[in-house]
Amino acid sequence: MSNQEQQLLQTLRAHVGEQATAVVARDPVNLPTIRNWCDAIGDTNPVYTEVDESDIEAPAAMLDVWTMAGNIPRSYDPNDPRNKVFALLNKAGYRTVVGANTKEIYCRPLRLGELLTGKMTLIDVSDLKTTGLGCGYFVSTLTEFTNQQGELVGSWEFRTFSFKPRERSSKGSKDRQPVPEHLQVRPRPGKMQETEFFWDGCDQGELRIQQCNGCERLAHPPVVRCPECGSYDLGHRAASGKATLHAFVEPVHPPMPFMQYPYICGVVELEEGTRLITNIVHCAPEQVEIGMPLELVFQQPDPDLTLPMFRPAVPSINKTTLNFDDLQEGQTLPLYPIDVTTNLVVGGAIATRDFEDIHHEVAAAKRAGLKDVFMNVLTTNGICARYVSEWAGPDARVKEIDIRLGAPNVVGDTMTLSATLVSKQRVDGKGRVTLNLRVANSMGNHVTGTVTLEFPTQAAAGGSL
Amino acid sequence: MTMTFSGKTAIAGIGATDFSKNSGRSTLRLAVEACEAAMKDAGVSADMIDGMITYTTDENHEIDLCRSLGVEKLTHFSRIHHSGGAACGTIHQAAMAVASGACNYCLVYRAFNERSEQRFGAGVQERPPTPTPMDVDFGWSSPFGLLTPASWVAMFASRYMHEYGATTEDFGRVSVAARRHAANNPNAHFYQKPITLEDHQNSRWIVKPLRLLDCCQETDGAQALLVTSVERARDLKGKPAVISAAAQGSCDDQQMMKSYYRKDISGLPEMELCADQLYRNAEITPGDIQAAILYDHFTAGVLPQLEAYGFCDRGEAKDFIKDGNIELGGRLPINTHGGQIGEAYLHGMNGIAEGVRLIRGDSCNQPQNVENVLVTSATAVPTSALILTQDS
Repeated sequence: MSNQEQQLLQTLRAHVGEQATAVVARDPVNLPTIRNWCDAIGDTNPVYTEVDESDIEAPAAMLDVWTMAGNIPRSYDPNDPRNKVFALLNKAGYRTVVGANTKEIYCRPLRLGELLTGKMTLIDVSDLKTTGLGCGYFVSTLTEFTNQQGELVGSWEFRTFSFKPRERSSKGSKDRQPVPEHLQVRPRPGKMQETEFFWDGCDQGELRIQQCNGCERLAHPPVVRCPECGSYDLGHRAASGKATLHAFVEPVHPPMPFMQYPYICGVVELEEGTRLITNIVHCAPEQVEIGMPLELVFQQPDPDLTLPMFRPAVPSINKTTLNFDDLQEGQTLPLYPIDVTTNLVVGGAIATRDFEDIHHEVAAAKRAGLKDVFMNVLTTNGICARYVSEWAGPDARVKEIDIRLGAPNVVGDTMTLSATLVSKQRVDGKGRVTLNLRVANSMGNHVTGTVTLEFPTQAAAGGSL
Repeated sequence: MTMTFSGKTAIAGIGATDFSKNSGRSTLRLAVEACEAAMKDAGVSADMIDGMITYTTDENHEIDLCRSLGVEKLTHFSRIHHSGGAACGTIHQAAMAVASGACNYCLVYRAFNERSEQRFGAGVQERPPTPTPMDVDFGWSSPFGLLTPASWVAMFASRYMHEYGATTEDFGRVSVAARRHAANNPNAHFYQKPITLEDHQNSRWIVKPLRLLDCCQETDGAQALLVTSVERARDLKGKPAVISAAAQGSCDDQQMMKSYYRKDISGLPEMELCADQLYRNAEITPGDIQAAILYDHFTAGVLPQLEAYGFCDRGEAKDFIKDGNIELGGRLPINTHGGQIGEAYLHGMNGIAEGVRLIRGDSCNQPQNVENVLVTSATAVPTSALILTQDS
């Protein structure tokens, strides 16, 4: 590190330990805000909205929603050490800031009427680091939340990276042979009169299976005469879209210029009984396994081609809380694909009271270098909490979410959540489970990290067994 | 009921070009060279040849070969479809033609510059303007990037592994055996180049679950064989390899390389259909077979073949192989020339020639007391097979 950098680091670290002016929530924990959040995140646990008001709990992942500024101009806090540090970094050329890690600890569920205060302290400035994005400094803050009685109810550690973007080398792209135009897109399907219904269906968002109008026998690929009853009168029916994976491969070599790697070709067995060659999408190759439940999703590799593809089937919500004693280290949660829609991103930003323009204004997102608006951290947090809670059941509680932030979740993409149970233990008579969590999208990992859940145990419930 | 041609014909001559990565000559020239060599091996002259058979995928017409070979009259000429599935089908056809009297001396050939010109492994990338039924068929797979023979076979392999617990190491053992055999064969691509299971496991992925060393060795070259009646063969130079049975097989919901739509895709029903015909017509059982040439475009296809032809039960090929049964000295040495993995990928025709050498007793890796040899053709396509037997 140069002298200049050492001096900069010294100046930055001089602010470590400083505290910003405390932020008092504008409103106490309240049902309308909870309801808006649950609607936007898609969390349907009745304990948040459907029980007697005295029993209502605020979703844990809403912790930092309560003290957010709201849709008003932010007043400048001269005491905010992060602002001071960012100003210094900006002056030194480290002008781009991205979120790097977020860790929330929830001491207990919040109840209606609690009024939160957040106190943020600058806790660390890292040495100069070089990452894939460029070189710069990680800046960490810790916000502690207390209620009106001064009781600590949770904390939020947030780490950002202020950096100088690294220069993109154009080397390599120059030497590459240009791909002939006809090899830039996937092969078109060969069609004949008797198979056109299938491809017409794809254009209309319907997966069709040939069905004999005489005896209702299904066939794929289509036949021209029903071998069962002899009829030439062949129609089709729409598939439900539910399927299981029968076999799959991952082509690696030779590279096809029109394919995006990695990709999976699978043979799926439709609920109706026929099979189909397709692509398995919205999950990583290593997450694909024979027998996995799948659901239909039409994809357009290019504007002139609509293909029926399959992705992990959205798991059903678990209405009965899992028994802690039945859980096993190493077990995996079902994959959960969620489409990143404008509705989800904008709805999530507003419901988490985050009014940064990059989350609701396309032009602002484009200025930030992305093609559309993208998901804010609090929405991601909420969806992660919802994912593990829907698996665990209504009585499990999220105690901690500790995640590293990666590729942005841009509208049009799909985020797929996955998790593995890595440890379980009893703490104060309750069952604690830590899950390794991964949320991936087409650009890579959106977040990776851990979530800790607390399960009621029979001992805690007073059971004698 | 047995087929009337069983045991009535024999392969009396074999001939091949060199196997290379770039032949430097036309496939017509390769075909003619191989035919000439087969004729010389048998000791027949051009004026005796009256039948010619090849694959529909061969680009050389028999009439063009005739002009260079000096063959003036043909009374039988035909072609067999379905790529590597045609291999033993050409002999099946020749045996029927000779036994029926349609011709007396029938040349069977296959020639290609499969390495230097039209490499199958490159996959299907062409975009024909007017689709043929074949393009309609590819339409169910190509738009999804399922484009290469390796990927088509790997799909079956993935299901087979799932159902029977076979692993990439089990596939690797097939490759190791082939390369050990090829190491003794001066005509093989991999002469003196054996591999270990570790080499196999370290080789790169082509299409998961298949690695580079699971794939055959794409080749330029040609192979020809001469089929005639057993009586005529006895008057020729060499020892006849009697075609005691030959058969073709295509089954329910059959597809080209992609028969994924039938209930069970971890077995090979078209091979079971061939096996039934072979054993019935040759009047032998799997226990009477001392050596086999099992089509090995990809290692993974060898396992279900061992099961379909009755050498072990379904799902047990991995153990049969692990126990050393496919090696020299084992219960059933296979692909003693090195197979298409070790010698050359010649669409199965070089394997038939090795079957003949095993009967003659002059394979580079000759097991003792070979009475009957099984030769198979490609998996995953409408296929064929034959049994070659010592002349009694």
